[in-house]
Parts: sequence; C-alpha cells; structure tokens
Amino acid sequence: MPSALLFAILASANANHSQKEKERNRYMLRRFKNTKEKILAGMLAAVMLFPMSLAGCKQSEMWKDAKGKVKVMTTIFPMYDFVRKVGGDHVAVEMMVPAGTEPHAWEPSSKDMRKLEEADLFVYNGCGMELWADDVLKGVANKKLTTLQAAEGIAAEGKQIVADDPHVWLDPMLAAKEMENICDALSKVDPDHAEDYRRNFEAAFSKCEELDAAYKERLASYDGKYIVVAHEAYGYLCSAYGLNQIGIEGVSAESEPDAARMREIIDMVETYGISCIFFEELVSPKVAETIAEETGCKTMALSPLDGISQEEIDAGNDYFSVMYENLDALCDALGGENLG
Amino acid sequence: MPMIFQYTYMQRALLVGCLLAVLVACLGTVMVHKRLSLIGDALSHSSLAGVALGLLGGFNPIVGAMATCLVAAFAIEGIRKKLGNHSELAVAIVLSTGIGLAGVLSGFVKSSADFNSFLFGSIVAISSFEMYLVSILAVVVLVAFLMLYKELFYISFDEQAAGISGVPVGAVNAIFTILTSVTISIAARTVGALIISSLMVVPVAAAMSIARSYKTTVLWAVFVAVASTLGGLVLSFYQGLKPGGTIVLISVGFFLLFRGIRLIREHGAQVGQKEG
Repeated sequence: MPSALLFAILASANANHSQKEKERNRYMLRRFKNTKEKILAGMLAAVMLFPMSLAGCKQSEMWKDAKGKVKVMTTIFPMYDFVRKVGGDHVAVEMMVPAGTEPHAWEPSSKDMRKLEEADLFVYNGCGMELWADDVLKGVANKKLTTLQAAEGIAAEGKQIVADDPHVWLDPMLAAKEMENICDALSKVDPDHAEDYRRNFEAAFSKCEELDAAYKERLASYDGKYIVVAHEAYGYLCSAYGLNQIGIEGVSAESEPDAARMREIIDMVETYGISCIFFEELVSPKVAETIAEETGCKTMALSPLDGISQEEIDAGNDYFSVMYENLDALCDALGGENLG
Repeated sequence: MPMIFQYTYMQRALLVGCLLAVLVACLGTVMVHKRLSLIGDALSHSSLAGVALGLLGGFNPIVGAMATCLVAAFAIEGIRKKLGNHSELAVAIVLSTGIGLAGVLSGFVKSSADFNSFLFGSIVAISSFEMYLVSILAVVVLVAFLMLYKELFYISFDEQAAGISGVPVGAVNAIFTILTSVTISIAARTVGALIISSLMVVPVAAAMSIARSYKTTVLWAVFVAVASTLGGLVLSFYQGLKPGGTIVLISVGFFLLFRGIRLIREHGAQVGQKEG
C-alpha cells in the first residue's frame, strides 16, 4: 500500500514532464535494484516533492478581506496603529510581529513572506528596531512592493537623535512625522485616495499636538528628574520633556544585569529619592521587583508600545490611549517623589 | 560589614548560589559517573516546554516545568537502558524533544513576557519566595543524598553489580531521578539554566582530576562549585561582570588548574620511579 502511494506520487510528478524526462526517470528508477531500495528512493522523492506541491496553494487566500484595498504589511504595533489611523477604510493592515513578542530577534515565517509577496506597501520603523527587515526585503520577489522606513527624516525635525534607540514614536511629534511619512507613501501607492489620507493624517497630527501639549504641561515641574526603567527605550521621550532615564538594562532588553549594575541602580534610587521602578511588558519583572523590594519603591508599568499584548489591542487601545496611560504613570511616579 | 553584604539582593544571591552549588555538585557527581553529564541541559530545556504547557493549560508554569522535567528524566532513564552502548544518545534525544516541544508550544503562548519571566532566572534577582523554596529543596535533597550515599556510589560505578549485591537499583534510581528533576526545574528558574547545567559537570570534571576516591571527588566538586559561585558573585559585584558567565568560567579555570596539578603529579611520579 505505501509503495503504491509513492509510485502514484512519482507518476503524478512525472505527468508535467516531457517524454525524455520520463524515460530518464524510469532509467533512474531501474538503477535501484531491489524493491526496498525502490521504496526508499520513492520516499526520498516524495519528501523532496512535498514542498513543491505546497507552493501551488492559492496565494490570494492570504489577504482574504483585502479586496479593493491597499494591502499594507507592518512590523510592530506603532507602525500598525499609524497605518490604521492614516489609511482608514482604504487599507488592509497586517502586523507581522505578533503582539507580545520581542521584535528585535523575531523572524518572519514563510506565511509572512507569502503575504509580503502579495502586499502593496511594507512599513517598518527602522533605526535598528527590526534587524531582520533588510534580509526579508532582499528575499522578496514582489516588484510592485513599496517599502517605507517610517523613521526616515526625523533628523530634519530639529530633535536630538538618541543613538541606538529606535523608539522614536515615544516623542509624539516624531510619531506625527512617522505618520506623515506613512501618509506620503500611501498617497503614492494609492493616489486616488490621497485626499482622504491627508485628512486622516491631519486629524491624527492635531491629536499628536494635543498629546505633546499634555506631556509638556504635566511634566513641566519635573524637569531634570530621573526615572528608572526596565530598558533604555525612553531616550526620545526623556529628551523631549527634560527627563533622565536610568535603564536597568541597556538598549537591548535581553541581557541579564550584573551585580555591580544592580548596586549602582539601588544607590541612584536612594540618592535621587526615586519612588517608583518602571517595568514593561516584554521584560521579565523579576529584576525590577528585586530592586523595588530592596529600596522600598513601588513598581508600575510604562509601555514602549512595541510589546503591547493582543488583549490590549482587542480592548481598543491605541497609540494615544497608551501614551496617556504612560503620562499618568510618569506623573504618579514623579509626584510621589515630591511627597516623599 | 563589607559593602557586598549590605544589599539584600547580594545576601540572597550568595545564600541561594552557595546552596544550589552544593546541591548541584552532589547530583552532578552521580550524573557524571552514570555518563549522563548533559542531563542538566536536557532537563532545563524540557522544563521550557513545561512552562509553555502551564501557560497554555492555565495551571502554574512552575508545576508544568517540574512535571515535564520528571517525564524527561524518566524518559532518559528508560531510553538509556534500551540503547546499551549508545546510552548517551538518550540525553540527546530528550534534549531535542524538549527544545522542539518548547519551540512549537511557545508559538501558541500569546505573551512572551510571561514566558520569559518563567524561563530565565537571574542570580542577582531572587525573590524571597524563591529563597525559601531553594532552602527547603536544599535540605530535602542533601538529606536524601547522604542517606542514599552508599547506594548511589555503588550504582554510579556498576549498576549490575549493585543490583546483584542487593541494592534496590530501581527505587534508588527513581528517587534520584525525581530529586534531580525537581532541583533543575527550580534552579533553572531561580539562577538560570547556564549556571545549573555547567555546575553539574565542570566542578565534577575538575574534582575527578585530582581526587583519589569517590568521597574526595564529591568534596572537591562541592568546593569548586561553591568557590566558583562565590568568586563569580564577588567579581560581578565589584567589576561589573555578568554573574552567570563569570561563575561558569571560574569553574573552567579550576578544571584547567586541577588538570595542571595532575600533570605535575604524574610527571613527579614518573621521575620518582626512574630515580628509584
């Protein structure tokens, strides 16, 4: 029974080939002397043909609800959310890095690659956030794919560039710049709806200005204060509003701290009278909890937005709601300091 | 009081580190003699699968980790007996299964933060709950190890002979397997898998280079493990080195040192023979 199946597979594989190739295949088969060897050869052939049979799957199944819409592939939540805001009903947006996943080390699956082959626009943040993006783009054969690095041109905004920190969007005005880049890219891909994109962008832009004003106003009295964070992701936020960050870990969130760094942070917490240690979704809270226990601080969540969970997305959270939550947490942490 | 003792996290790191070093060196001596030196890697990787199972199934991931560690350890015991000369393959097979399973299951876990916090321990971030857990574990495992010392000693060298002379091999092996898997599943979460899987093997290898009996092997292995842990923590505290890697490298340093001592000894013995 299994050998019959294998020969059926071989025969079907042969069906597409010319007569000459058929003969050559038959000759190849004859070289295996006994049945056992033939079965083994058949199995090898079947294993090798298996991926080819999959390649024939219909690709249009990948973007089911995207009929008549611009198909946009995004990397992380802020990109996804910005495209959603600017694109409105005219775009179908996919987020490649699943919610709650560390984006630096993540790699796309073959399903993601197939979606990308069918997509119109690929939006990534850049600045070292998605280290895999270059490799992925090299591997894509899709000629009509437009690529946008959303953090492009932020240097021209007159803001200080924080070296090695990709979390550009934590400064609301730079988030607005990213949305503008997205607006331009969408208008290029889909000129028919350029006016709608512009209108959506302008609505989002004024919300960014509001957010920026709220941060400026509520953080004004804490100029030069220190916050302790899980990893140094808040460079742009701090430089925009005059705060200083002390990262338990460096820009990369994955290393474990050493004993000397722990001592340094504990000493700084005491020197600066800090009352709160911030943790974030993607980093284990153990280190933050240990420091909090040692110093009698409380712990609170401060989200850099790239690690937002699926539940939070499903609950309707977006860039603005999380940024306002962050602002409340910051004020709470810094205000506690004045009391103590 | 020296500065290193003024911080609670360092007190915990020193205490828990030393307790686990003693435990793991004792367990490691038996494992190395049973030719299962990579069991630490296999079990700590299998415990990842358990964590994922726990998160997916809605029960405590630490319980999940212990359960898969137990299954994996018994699987190694079972496969090992069937493979005869190639018994070391048992560890490799279980290691691969553990990694594979953890990889597939982790794909279903929504939040990688939960996952990470159960997977990776750090010796400088130990909660008070973990400290008590490790203390209790240490007492239980050490008492069992001392009570079964003779039996384990016999089994380590020759299982068949041990069985013939009346040692309940099956029961002793089973108890020991349980102790090992519980220790590894807790320790990997508390101080990290790297420290545990290395301290199971390297100190024992160092000890075997200079010890002249089983007992002295155990004692030297415990000494090397504890000294490496203390040395690593002190260096990490004053020099800012990563604790896990430093501890492991110091133990490798001990291994090289002890091999050197052995070479000199052997050379001395040869010279002595020639002259005599």
